[in-house]
Amino acid sequence: MTKPIDWDLDDKKIATLRMQDTENKNVFSHAFVEAFLATFDEIEEAEPRVLVIRGLDDVFSGGADRESLMELAAGKIVVRDLVLSERLIHARFPIIAAMEGHAMGGGLVIGLCSDIVLMANESRYGAVFINMGFTPGMGTTTLLPLLVGPYLASEMMMTGRRYRGKELKGLGVHVNDILPKAEVLPKARDLALQIAEKNPKSIALLKAALSTPKKKLLIDARAQEDLMHHLSFGFPETKAIIHEFYAGK
Amino acid sequence: MTKQEIVDVIKKNIADNLDDIDVKDIDPTKSMKDYGANSLDIIEVVSCSMRDLDIRIPRSELADIGNIDQLADKFLENIGKK
Repeated sequence: MTKPIDWDLDDKKIATLRMQDTENKNVFSHAFVEAFLATFDEIEEAEPRVLVIRGLDDVFSGGADRESLMELAAGKIVVRDLVLSERLIHARFPIIAAMEGHAMGGGLVIGLCSDIVLMANESRYGAVFINMGFTPGMGTTTLLPLLVGPYLASEMMMTGRRYRGKELKGLGVHVNDILPKAEVLPKARDLALQIAEKNPKSIALLKAALSTPKKKLLIDARAQEDLMHHLSFGFPETKAIIHEFYAGK
Repeated sequence: MTKQEIVDVIKKNIADNLDDIDVKDIDPTKSMKDYGANSLDIIEVVSCSMRDLDIRIPRSELADIGNIDQLADKFLENIGKK
C-alpha cells in the first residue's frame, strides 16, 4: 500500500510533498492531517531550498472529511486544521502549491498558505464550507481576500461555488499562473529550480519578511473563525445540512 | 414543463461548464463524462440545472443516473414538488 503522503528531496535540494491518498481523494481525515504534519517535520529537518506541494492529478485536496465535521458539529474543538495553515505559513523555505487537481475548502487553504500558487484551467477550486451549512475555517476568511481580491473572495465564500480554473483566470484572479493541467508541474519545477539556485540564506530572509502579513492575517482569522465556528456548528440547521450532504455516501 | 425543455436546460449548463462544446452537439443518450466532464463538472451542471428548474433532489437519489436523458427523467419527476 502506498503512503497517503510521501516526499522526496532531489539533488538541487528541492523537496516535493505529494498528497496521494487515491482512496479518499486527499480529504483531511485525522490520519491524513497527522501524516501531513509528520511529513512536514521531516521536510523541515532536511532544510530544503524550496518545497513543491502537489496532489493527485485529478484531486489536489477535498478539504475536511465527514468525521471531522461531525466532531465540530458536536461541539468539539479541532485545532489540528489550523495547525496545518500555521505550519505552512511559518515554514522557513518558499512553498509552491502545484494545484493540478481540484482543491476545495481546506484543500484550497493549502494554496492560500503558499508563496506561489499554480492552478489548472480544467480543475475546480472552491471555498465550499457554506455548502455544508457552516462558516469557513483554516484562515480562509482573511487569506482568501488576499489571494483573489476581497469581492471575489466574498462571492466564493458566500456561494460555495466550485469555480473552474479557467473561469478564475477570466475573473482576474492573481495567482502566479492558471495553466493547462499538463503544464502545472513543469512550471512548478521551473520556478523551484530558479529559486533553488539563489542564495538560500537570503531567500529565507525574504520568505520570513514576505510571509509576515499572512502570519498576522492568520491570527485575525483564528479569532473570528473560532467564534463563528462555535456559533455556526451549534445551529441545529448546520447539523441537518451536513447529514443531508453526506446522505447515501 | 416538458422533458425536452428540461433536456435543453441541462444541455445549456453542460455547454456553459465545459470547453468547446456546442449545445446542438450534445446527445442526451450519452453521459456527461463522454464530453470530458469530471466529477465536479457534473456536480456543477446538476446543481446549476436544479437551480434553473427550481427543484431540489438529494445527492443520494442521483447516484445511479447514467446519462443525460435519465437525469432529465429524474428532474421531470420532481418538477413542481417541493
